Amino acid sequence: MKAASSDVKVRVKESHRYGDLLVHDGIEFDVRENEFVCVVGQSGCGKSTLLDILSGMLKPTEGHVLIDGVPADPKKQDISFVFQEPSNLPWLTVWDNVATGLRIKKYPKTEITRIVDELVGVVGLRGFEKYYPHQISGGMKQRVAIARAFATDADVILMDEPFVSLDQHTRETMQQEILDIWRLRKRTIIFVTHNLEEAVFLGDRVIVLSNKPARVQEDMRIDLPRPRDMLGRDFNDFRIKCAEVLNGTRQRIPQTASV
Amino acid sequence: MHDASLLSQIEAAPPDAAPVRNAIARKSEWARPIGYNLLSLGAALLAWQLLATMVGSPFFPGPARIVVAFDALARNGDTLGNSLWAHSWASLHRVLVGFGVALVLGVPFGLFMGLNNRAYVSTRAVVEPFRFIPPIAWIPLAIIFFSGLPRFAFLIFLGAFFPIYTATQVGVARVEPIHRKVFLIHGASKWQILSRVVIPTILPDILGGMRVGMGAAWLTIVAAELTGGTSIGLGRMMVDYSELLKIPEVIVGMLMIGAIGFVLNEGLLLTEKRLFRWRWQVSL
Repeated sequence: MKAASSDVKVRVKESHRYGDLLVHDGIEFDVRENEFVCVVGQSGCGKSTLLDILSGMLKPTEGHVLIDGVPADPKKQDISFVFQEPSNLPWLTVWDNVATGLRIKKYPKTEITRIVDELVGVVGLRGFEKYYPHQISGGMKQRVAIARAFATDADVILMDEPFVSLDQHTRETMQQEILDIWRLRKRTIIFVTHNLEEAVFLGDRVIVLSNKPARVQEDMRIDLPRPRDMLGRDFNDFRIKCAEVLNGTRQRIPQTASV
Repeated sequence: MHDASLLSQIEAAPPDAAPVRNAIARKSEWARPIGYNLLSLGAALLAWQLLATMVGSPFFPGPARIVVAFDALARNGDTLGNSLWAHSWASLHRVLVGFGVALVLGVPFGLFMGLNNRAYVSTRAVVEPFRFIPPIAWIPLAIIFFSGLPRFAFLIFLGAFFPIYTATQVGVARVEPIHRKVFLIHGASKWQILSRVVIPTILPDILGGMRVGMGAAWLTIVAAELTGGTSIGLGRMMVDYSELLKIPEVIVGMLMIGAIGFVLNEGLLLTEKRLFRWRWQVSL
């Protein structure tokens, strides 16, 4: 069913305005099947709006988001979302929370058991299946949300700064873990963050959005081998390059002459 | 992957530690209050008996005389031969019927109003005033339109409906947008969101409304029975005995009402604690 990995999975071409305020000014990029794409931008540049549009929950005022050539729609495609804020249902156990998407999509019972049992182990929550969200730490809660996102056969997984509220140590572990899960269960991922190090560490590509109204300022391929070394020279070069582009977006008008 | 499972072990206590701790806490949580309650109950009875002895009036009986009256009512029944249990069951039965109707209508109606804010806002002036008409004020109409069980059930329904309806309707606003969003993203239908997000969220509110409604129902049944139209029921029994100036039997009726109400409320509370352990731990 899945196309070859070089095929375009997600095609974005949209502009969006809230009333008179133009927030997206012709954002345009493609994401290939099973690609891990990070999107960075200044805060307030419309990253969350982009995710709402990508998920099909918000219709852009112009243009479209196509998944496998069809306009994005949660009812027709399988889209997963890892939110920034805690999103687990407090009355369900860890196990049942991971199973949520599968149950909504009416997977067969045996299939649900198999997938959830496997994923609970993959995200390191074995032994915590019967715990409720309030009984586990912030990092573990996000692991539950990530397991839920990977459980279904998602066409695309959208992530909205999922690690932003975690402490530095947990954050770094989770960055490694998400790559481990992605290696095991290949998915197309669009990961929004404002942390450049995180973006360069995770992404096959880093897309830098300009300040409002946002458009694609730079679409950078990170051709570093994995696992990546955050302390390495090449890594740092990419990070600096990203930072320069991003800082450039801050004074977009005077800089346009030099480009 | 190995790193992940190792890390999670460091990050949190071993899986079995918390339940053990909870079990210990739960036992003392139970045993101690029961002991204290028995003690204070004994003290109250003793004080009452002392006071009654000091006053020494037939219109101020102590617990000892109440026990005698209770025994007679339970074994031989009242002047017509209806036992205390028959009276209690008659009242309870009416309450359960009226309460059941209030529950079956109040929850869906509350859900509808909670989910359709426009409907709620544009019918406020029709619905809300009814809330302030006490069930007792309906008694004259109820006497004209109904008789027997429907009359009592109708009055109890009026008492129990609004607490249940209002708790449900207000609870819907408590549904977290993020939970709804999780379901929408996975392509959930309206029905799936209602049954798996909205209802689980407001179930504790519904149970809270049921407890308030049960209290209101109990208040209403006694008032309704006092007005007549029946020869059986705790309220009826109390009126009959007060006309005979037999105070101990009246007090037996009062205590019986208190006891049944207490048991019903504790039962609902227990259900609440069982079902929503997560919520009690979060909010308390």
